[in-house]
Amino acid sequence: MGIDKETTRQEDKETWCDPVSPCLPVSPSPCLAMRGREFSATAWLCIGLVGVAAFVGCGKADPPQFRLNMMNVVAKQVAPQHQQAIANILGAMFGTPDKPYAMPETGLDQKKLNMAAGPVWSDQAGEDHGLYRRHCAHCHGISGDGHGPTADILNPYPRDYRPGVFKFKSTYTSAEPTEADLLRIVHDGIPGTAMPSFALLPPDQRAALVEYVKYLSIRGEMEKALEDYVADNLDPGDKFDPASNAETKKLILDDMLKPIVEAWQTAKDQVIVPDEKSIPPDNRTVAQIADSADKGRELFYGTQANCVKCHGPTALGDGQQDDYSDWNKATHDFIQATNAKLAEMEALRKDLTKAKGDDAEHIKEQIRSTQKEYKEREAVIATLLPPRHAIPRNLREGILRGGRRPIDIFWRISAGIRGMPMPASGPAAPGAPGTLTQEQIWQLVDYVQSLPFEPASQPLKKGPVNSSAVSTGE
Amino acid sequence: MSTITADLHVQPQVAHAHRGSFLTTYVFSRDHKVIGIQFLFSTLIWFLIGGLLALGVRWQLAWPWSSMPILGKLVYSAQGGQIAPEAYTMLFTMHATVMIFLVIIPILAGAFGNFLIPLMIGAEDMAFPTLNMLSYWFMWPAFVCFGAAFFVGAAPGAGWTSYPPLALTVFHNGWLQPQMLWLLGIAFVGVSSMMGSVNYLTTIIQMRAPGMTMFRLPMTIWGMFITAVLQAFALPVLTAAVFMQLLDLTVGTGFFIPEGWTATNMAHAAGGGQPLLWQHLFWFYSHPAVYIMILPAMGMVSDIISCFARKPLFGYKPMVYSLAGIAGLGFIVWGHHMFVSGMSPVLGMTFMVATMFIALPSAIKVFNWLGTLWGGKIQFTTPMLFAMAFVSMFIIGGLSGIFMAATPVDIMIHDTYFIVAHFHYVLFAGTAMGVFGGIYFWFPKMFGRMMNDRWGKVHFLLTFMFLNGVFFPMHVLIGFPRRLADPYHYATFKVFQPINQFMTICAILLVTSQIIFVVNFFYSMFFGPPAGRNPWHSNTLEWQAPSPPGHGNFDFQPVVFRGPYEYGSPEVDIDYYPQTMPPPQNQPAPAPVPAH
Amino acid sequence: MKHFWALVFLMVPVCGVLTFIIAPHYNVWFPKDISANGHVIDHLFMFILWLTGIIFVATEGALFYFAWKYNARSNPEPVKFSHGSHTLEVVWTILPAVTLLFIAIYQMNAWADAKMRRPHIPVTAEITGRQFNWDVRYPGKDGVLHTPDDIVRTDGDIHFPSGEEVLLIIKSQDVLHSFFLPNIRLKQDVVPGMDQYMWFKVPEPAVVDIVCAELCGWGHYKMQGRATFEPRPAFDEWLSQKYTEQESHRVAEAPIQ
Repeated sequence: MGIDKETTRQEDKETWCDPVSPCLPVSPSPCLAMRGREFSATAWLCIGLVGVAAFVGCGKADPPQFRLNMMNVVAKQVAPQHQQAIANILGAMFGTPDKPYAMPETGLDQKKLNMAAGPVWSDQAGEDHGLYRRHCAHCHGISGDGHGPTADILNPYPRDYRPGVFKFKSTYTSAEPTEADLLRIVHDGIPGTAMPSFALLPPDQRAALVEYVKYLSIRGEMEKALEDYVADNLDPGDKFDPASNAETKKLILDDMLKPIVEAWQTAKDQVIVPDEKSIPPDNRTVAQIADSADKGRELFYGTQANCVKCHGPTALGDGQQDDYSDWNKATHDFIQATNAKLAEMEALRKDLTKAKGDDAEHIKEQIRSTQKEYKEREAVIATLLPPRHAIPRNLREGILRGGRRPIDIFWRISAGIRGMPMPASGPAAPGAPGTLTQEQIWQLVDYVQSLPFEPASQPLKKGPVNSSAVSTGE
Repeated sequence: MSTITADLHVQPQVAHAHRGSFLTTYVFSRDHKVIGIQFLFSTLIWFLIGGLLALGVRWQLAWPWSSMPILGKLVYSAQGGQIAPEAYTMLFTMHATVMIFLVIIPILAGAFGNFLIPLMIGAEDMAFPTLNMLSYWFMWPAFVCFGAAFFVGAAPGAGWTSYPPLALTVFHNGWLQPQMLWLLGIAFVGVSSMMGSVNYLTTIIQMRAPGMTMFRLPMTIWGMFITAVLQAFALPVLTAAVFMQLLDLTVGTGFFIPEGWTATNMAHAAGGGQPLLWQHLFWFYSHPAVYIMILPAMGMVSDIISCFARKPLFGYKPMVYSLAGIAGLGFIVWGHHMFVSGMSPVLGMTFMVATMFIALPSAIKVFNWLGTLWGGKIQFTTPMLFAMAFVSMFIIGGLSGIFMAATPVDIMIHDTYFIVAHFHYVLFAGTAMGVFGGIYFWFPKMFGRMMNDRWGKVHFLLTFMFLNGVFFPMHVLIGFPRRLADPYHYATFKVFQPINQFMTICAILLVTSQIIFVVNFFYSMFFGPPAGRNPWHSNTLEWQAPSPPGHGNFDFQPVVFRGPYEYGSPEVDIDYYPQTMPPPQNQPAPAPVPAH
Repeated sequence: MKHFWALVFLMVPVCGVLTFIIAPHYNVWFPKDISANGHVIDHLFMFILWLTGIIFVATEGALFYFAWKYNARSNPEPVKFSHGSHTLEVVWTILPAVTLLFIAIYQMNAWADAKMRRPHIPVTAEITGRQFNWDVRYPGKDGVLHTPDDIVRTDGDIHFPSGEEVLLIIKSQDVLHSFFLPNIRLKQDVVPGMDQYMWFKVPEPAVVDIVCAELCGWGHYKMQGRATFEPRPAFDEWLSQKYTEQESHRVAEAPIQ
């Protein structure tokens, strides 16, 4: 190692470049120079390594927790101690995201829940765990609130499971979806949205995920029932503890949980089954279908079905576009109410200038409490997805979110889309009268199915009207 | 010889500024050395950031959706530290963007180019010192843009290539879009590079010391010169493309959007454009840019190898011609990034032939480096080890390029980990090794002190081992696609998970071993042994100046008598022969011209 | 250990070659080839691998040898003062040039087969990439796409006939995607506004992954499909079954699983 000694020896007599200072001051070769000098970086290095290890070690996040629906909590002004009580009750009833618990009363399958919940990992046998967090949580959220981190960049937003409201289903408008409905959505995805198909997962994994969605829905509905009960019936100081109070326990299990679970369990009895006689025969000629579609067109533009109002005279979905879905409406209303608080405070301040003595003290107190509520509401709004308008479907693209089978379209028209401005045209419950007869609905189905193949649709396949409206949103 | 002495007295004397305040000396300095060191520090900081981003990517590939350290806790604590898939796209997008635009390009041209060009050609400073200062300060808007892009709700996530239409639709959230910041950042980097390249060209052509003909320039300067040419001709195209995409993004011009096309989250655009147009324009810059990212390193490595083999560079002129050949061919091979993009397959064939031929100059360079080692007296100093590692790794990166140039094979390996292996072997195992070598080599000139050699070797050994551990196995992951947040969805790729975990562990160790370098760097800056003017007994001009050189660089007027690689010349009885040393038969030396 | 560093550089070719020898034994290599033409691409890959492998071992070996032989600590001989060799430069310019040109010409037929010589047969299906799914549209009984009797599937479970040439139209609904069939050695980016074609033949029934190989957004990794190749009768049977399901007017006709 090092530079030859002969070369260093030559240096001092060289004076070719600079008379003042020699170009090559006699310095030993660098490698040799190091030997005499012990480098004390070892200690530094150890400190550095330990620091990095500690940093990475402490850098791990805690396991995720279910969070309360703060919009409801703040809107209903649930007292902090009651929030804690509700969280405790829900924890006892449903467990945590890592360890979900299926109460026997809910009829949920503990095995399926275990398969879907918890952190993502694969065991030695290649069995996958943590399915919900692997496939769903980044959009639908750990608590099923439809606000995972990815939700911000999606349009439409992912479904919030907590109200227990689902759009694409086979049951009457206000009923819960059946298991088969949820499985179909997981299997086919929702074309035209960010919901992909999970058809390539093994059937038992899909079933586990559907069970977990039901679990999150029941949990969310239960949470809302508890919050509403507490807000409506209890004073902030009252105790709310089912563990020590058998009456409270009974109330929770019988008056709150039972109806929720029943709605889920009876969903399969609520399926809309079209009357055999109304179903068009399989062997219709092209002319017959066209004839039926023509009748459907009349209905589409007619006042009875009035599809044209939203889907527009062109069926591009360019009719009424300023309505909200239930989920967005809730956010919208919450923001409106928050703004109203601001106006309320203004009014109170104006009153304060006129008021004197005790009155003034009273008004000041009111301002303080309104201010506090306003601040709380503001904090919640910061965590919400900004509300967007519900845009009616462009029927000419041939992309139908809830499925493109005739029966799917039939259900959509008959029951409407729950949570959306799309109304039910069929009966609201078994035996009730509907706006349209089943024959008429089938005619509309034919019309909707024929729309993408109309000559007018072909050049307009990706018509711009709908999408630009989407982007302007609100 | 007589002509040279005659020229001596007509050498223009550049008046340089007097020592000013702290602000003008160390911050807004017009001194090329200060600017070079400013570039060096800025880029090394970004190097660290880019490396940490890469660790995020690797973590996800090894243990997808597990709790990611630090990032998971900071941003995704509500998810239990499990990152979101869009965060993964942001991680690799920003890793590549930072590494390419804020590290490799500015560290080569900005740090080494600025510091070395005037010193190695015997000039007092750059031709345009103010422009030079601006070229550094125009990096700052880029730093701010890319830095801020992390904090506007979402970072850019369309890959560093930013292919539209995806780039026009991702994370379209609010008016301050990350993609907009990304484009502006690229534009600022472009402005900075353009200022630098104009300056380098002028300086190298106009400011050489007497006797320093073009063919006496060290390879480092040739590398910088060809790089500057590439930048000057390719950058306008990128700038145009960037502004077109910016217009598409903000006012909906639709250069890159086909007729009648819309997507959710996107404002309606005029349409009538073509997504492939962006790819053509982008790669017309970015293919030459991959040479911008390696030619200066090749030059530096040539200098280091010749110096520590104590032997002239084998085939100086072929080396220069092959650099020029790479630059020329570099402009007609961009289509090889687009073989399966939907570009005409006929064009694909033409680009295949051109691409095959660009392997040729690279091969010539490798053979010449080996020729330089042949018959030398190799001193395994830290810079030499890094330089030899460069050669060794560049062989791998160069050979794997042939697979991609072959169009049918590229169908299979395009956008897979084979490509990732290829460009990391060229850019990390190649250029970054060259950069480390350059830092160890010129550190004494920059700071007047030596870096610790023993710890330098430990750093080298660990880096060399772990980088191969990270990148070599990628070659056998055939068909394993890039940019997948969770590749193990696919039954085909499930078998690749253990090897990915191995690579991730190596990556963590690789980044950790850089602590040695950081400690060595800062310790030596203050406590290293003083270096003297020419600690490596090198021939080139910069080693004749004081360490560190003062303002105006040389304390005498350098006159050049020969090429830079006359090590072991029989003409003299020392084993090196500095460019400024007059030939023995011409004694006495021509009267030196004082610099001041 | 005066030759320590030479040995470090020797590890590069040794470990490099070992990696390529060991990896296939652990199944970390090409995915299984099921197509009629994929072996052509595998063969070209192996051909280039052998060629570059030899050059790799030779050059890395030379680097090691020089590092060993010309180590300043053990090499007593004076430096060979040489500025290069014109003959050598010519040799190592011409030789690689000829080799590279040969590789280029040798590949052209395979490239033309894969991308330029589209068979003149009816289109089997149209594949549309969208964020984040592969949708498929079969032409149905009339053999014409975009008519009411098309069979459309959005679940990414795509079937093709085996034992015959398949011609696909592939397109994109939104951003760039890439239709990648690792087991058939085929890949084609889909560009919005452009129709691309892809053709292949799979002799035996098989089930393989469809991968998206061009970044298409946050859900890029989710854009999975499954290609099932089955003999013509089974394929036709599957198609008519899906057609019936698609046309179903009744509730119980289509159980999920």
